[in-house]
Amino acid sequence: MSGPQALVIGGGPAGVSAAVALARAGIDVTLCEQGPRLGGAIHRQPDDQTQSVRVPRAHKQRWQALSDELAASTVKVLCRHMFAGIEATGAVLLEDRNTGRLVTRRPAALVLAMGAIERVAPVPGWHLPGVVSAGGLQVMMKSTGRAPSGAVLIAGSGPLLVALAAQMASLGNAPVAVLERSPRLMSLRVIASLLRTPAYLREAAGYVGTLVRAGCLPQRGAFVTAIVPKDGRLSVSVRDRGGRERQLLVDRVALHDGLLPNSNGTAAHPNGPFLVRAGDCREVLGGAAALADGRLAAQAVLAHLGKRGSDSTGAELAMARERQAQAALNTLFDYSGRDPTELPDDTIICRCEGRTLGQLRAMLDSRDPVSAREIKLNGRFGMGACQGRFCAEWVAAFVASQHADGSPPQSSEIVGSRWPVKPVPISAFVTLPPSHPSE
Amino acid sequence: MLRFTPVSFVSTLSAGVLHSDRTSSFRVGDMLHPQGNSPRSSRSVAIVGAGIVGMSAAHFLSRAGWQVTVYDAGVVASGATGSADGAVSVASKKPGPLMTLAVAAVKFYEQLIAEGVLVDEYLPRSTFVVASDDEELSVLERHAGELEAASVPIRMLRGTALTEVIGAAAPTAIAAAEVQREGHAVGYRVVERLRRLGGFAIRRNCRVSGFTSSNGHITGVITECGTEQADAVLLATGIGSMHFLAESDLIRPRKGQLIVTDRAGADSPHFPGPLMSCRYLVSKGSQPANSAAASRSLGLVIDPLRTGQFLIGGSREDRDDRETADGDIVAALLRDAVALSPSLARLRVIRVFSGLRAATRDGMPIVGRVGGADNLWIATGFEGDGICLGPLMGRLCQQMICGEPPDQDISALDATRFRLTLAAAA
Ligand SMILES: Cc1cc2nc3c(=O)[nH]c(=O)nc-3n(C[C@H](O)[C@H](O)[C@H](O)COP(=O)(O)OP(=O)(O)OC[C@H]3O[C@@H](n4cnc5c(N)ncnc54)[C@H](O)[C@@H]3O)c2cc1C
Ligand SMILES: Cc1cc2nc3c(=O)[nH]c(=O)nc-3n(C[C@H](O)[C@H](O)[C@H](O)COP(=O)(O)OP(=O)(O)OC[C@H]3O[C@@H](n4cnc5c(N)ncnc54)[C@H](O)[C@@H]3O)c2cc1C
Repeated sequence: MSGPQALVIGGGPAGVSAAVALARAGIDVTLCEQGPRLGGAIHRQPDDQTQSVRVPRAHKQRWQALSDELAASTVKVLCRHMFAGIEATGAVLLEDRNTGRLVTRRPAALVLAMGAIERVAPVPGWHLPGVVSAGGLQVMMKSTGRAPSGAVLIAGSGPLLVALAAQMASLGNAPVAVLERSPRLMSLRVIASLLRTPAYLREAAGYVGTLVRAGCLPQRGAFVTAIVPKDGRLSVSVRDRGGRERQLLVDRVALHDGLLPNSNGTAAHPNGPFLVRAGDCREVLGGAAALADGRLAAQAVLAHLGKRGSDSTGAELAMARERQAQAALNTLFDYSGRDPTELPDDTIICRCEGRTLGQLRAMLDSRDPVSAREIKLNGRFGMGACQGRFCAEWVAAFVASQHADGSPPQSSEIVGSRWPVKPVPISAFVTLPPSHPSE
Repeated sequence: MLRFTPVSFVSTLSAGVLHSDRTSSFRVGDMLHPQGNSPRSSRSVAIVGAGIVGMSAAHFLSRAGWQVTVYDAGVVASGATGSADGAVSVASKKPGPLMTLAVAAVKFYEQLIAEGVLVDEYLPRSTFVVASDDEELSVLERHAGELEAASVPIRMLRGTALTEVIGAAAPTAIAAAEVQREGHAVGYRVVERLRRLGGFAIRRNCRVSGFTSSNGHITGVITECGTEQADAVLLATGIGSMHFLAESDLIRPRKGQLIVTDRAGADSPHFPGPLMSCRYLVSKGSQPANSAAASRSLGLVIDPLRTGQFLIGGSREDRDDRETADGDIVAALLRDAVALSPSLARLRVIRVFSGLRAATRDGMPIVGRVGGADNLWIATGFEGDGICLGPLMGRLCQQMICGEPPDQDISALDATRFRLTLAAAA
């Protein structure tokens, strides 16, 4: 069970940038990506290479340069290899999806650049077939190269809503509406803060232009209150800024309420390799920051291995610039989701196990304070296939809002921290060669 | 899917009188406010440990009129009770007193269901002990004989009967013993049910470090949250018991790792109950192994859960790191599981967890008085059997503490066999 000196997980901008920087310093690097191709959230390309989804030019050029450098480097790239976690003896577990085997590696250093996860705040009916996350819809679009068919409603909050809407419009099927929960409009102050990172302004202007032409500019201050199935389609109740309700009949709903670092299972292990996180996996700051953060992660690994890297001032400046830009942008959005007090008891909170808000409320309806362990064991929140990645944060916030006193459980206590970080087929496990000769 | 059962007092009320044994008879009205309504006694008992044993004892002592406070260093079910499978099973027990007690423990679960105390926290079912080769078959035959001698209802399955009952789930089995009339209970659900029934106070995150005493009589417990008075103390502290005892090395942690799968599809073969490989009996020490005892052994149980998921276990390792899981052990268990039940290969592992069993030097639990104080009791060392034995042990502890003759003969578990005394630190 030997391994490369450095193992990098995640083939997005952060991972590729870290791998290239390490190889440049003479380190033996392997880069693993779970999907069939590198690219990550922005640069994912369709299976059919003749199709393509529009990516802003500045991003595209930077990615092209990085890809060229990767191709010329000594980095060993393994696609369809999923990081499954670090087990008790410190070995890194990888599921090789090409051969269906589980393999172990013992690198000296591990860079985790697994990107962000999408937040979707619960709303009645969000578990119905036809309701997807905006990112999920984008992935589908990027891998087919075609816009989703039928009438699509996009709702929630964040810059991804307009990006997705514009990409759909460019591919010939603009959404029927884009609902942005936040009522705030682009202000002079925000524009002023973004002057140091004009790419954002250019990108936003491009999207808005496309949406104006398609006639579907976002409706600000509007949000979804419920989704119900109707005649094989979805009937969506929408409340606008003035409090008026109306119904929209659509084929698909794409929801999105911001991004969170994909950090579960990424804690360092006492017997494991030196570990650094990079990109959205550490702090959600977008593509440009991910490139810089990958270089910083490589610096940290080099320092650990006792090697000198190149100067990292440029990367640090870029991080500071991106952090400021993202903070300014975030003032325009409202990721809080629907007020839980207005959600009915039968609203599903944990989609893996079908656990409802009523069940969570019943757990809290007790004299004894409720612990993370009981939320998991008795409530079954965080116990499904996603190990709480998609509900732990919401559940922790809700519990905290109900129990003003004491110390409410943290999201990190609810989300699973043990491997496998994602489900692994038993058929892959049985191929793991025994390290103890006899049991 | 696991069903969540918000406690409905209505259903409990319709059950009418909950207990009607000779010493403690009371009605549901008492159950809801037992302290306020109980004229009999205001004696107080401190129970250290909110696992299945401590919580069961708390339930029965509060029903017997005691004023009960349960202390736990963590939260409810934070020890072995929250990290276990739930075989309420005679099938795997060592012949002798433990097997006899397990038979009584299964009956006690049935009684608690009938009385409405545990509503649907117990699922009756058979366990299938499976042999896959001739060596395992000899273990199976020996064990089946011993179960029969203890009047446990079993059915030997071979030939077409074997194929019909477990053939789809375990096509390579050459014989199996169906151990009937046992079941499954999830430890933390039993504990949660008892907590909701209430009648006693629980102090969470409140570790007990020792006792105040005078003239060989304990007067109170010293906790992280201050000292509180008590007329009697029960230690139900699982692996934490060593802190209180003068003997070192009497109770050791035995780690177990368990695997949880995703849900099997509708086209998957039917599992009539848990499959236990004969190797499990050897691993557990219920049947002698051919070679010397290892510090680590694997014994396969494939447990179909109510949710459609499987729990696959488990290891027995002389280790005390509770948070970790080894790729190696998990893979070895899964290889055994797939060898017995090939259809499992289609499922995915969604979680692996581990827990620590409290194992005594002679493999038998310790239940009884601790020397050095006349009002201190202990119930610990249940190793891999505490979910099965827990409620019954809670009842027997209540009887001991009340000075009543226990319903079962537990002399084999008596603490005096180790001459237990209180640690100086406590
Ligand atoms: C759905 C979505 C859409 C976005 N769209 C845009 C956009 O249009 N424009 C824009 O500027 N920014 C967009 N972003 C922001 C984007 O996150 C950043 O711009 C940038 O992609 C972050 O780079 P990264 O390398 O940190 O992460 P990512 O680019 O997300 O790369 C992470 C990579 O890790 C892989 N991975 C994850 N888990 C594992 C595992 N266990 N094993 C192996 N590999 C794994 C993933 O498959 C992925 O390829 C989007 C983000 C998301 C989540
Ligand atoms: C992997 C695994 C699988 C198992 N499978 C089965 C099975 O299928 N069937 C079966 O019958 N049994 C099974 N068991 C065994 C069963 O879980 C235990 O025997 C049982 O839970 C023991 O209960 P307990 O109340 O004695 O101890 P615990 O549940 O360990 O409770 C002890 C409590 O005491 C508390 N405590 C300790 N010290 C202090 C202190 N100083 N102050 C305050 N509080 C303290 C702890 O925090 C803990 O909550 C399994 C166990 C494991 C680990």
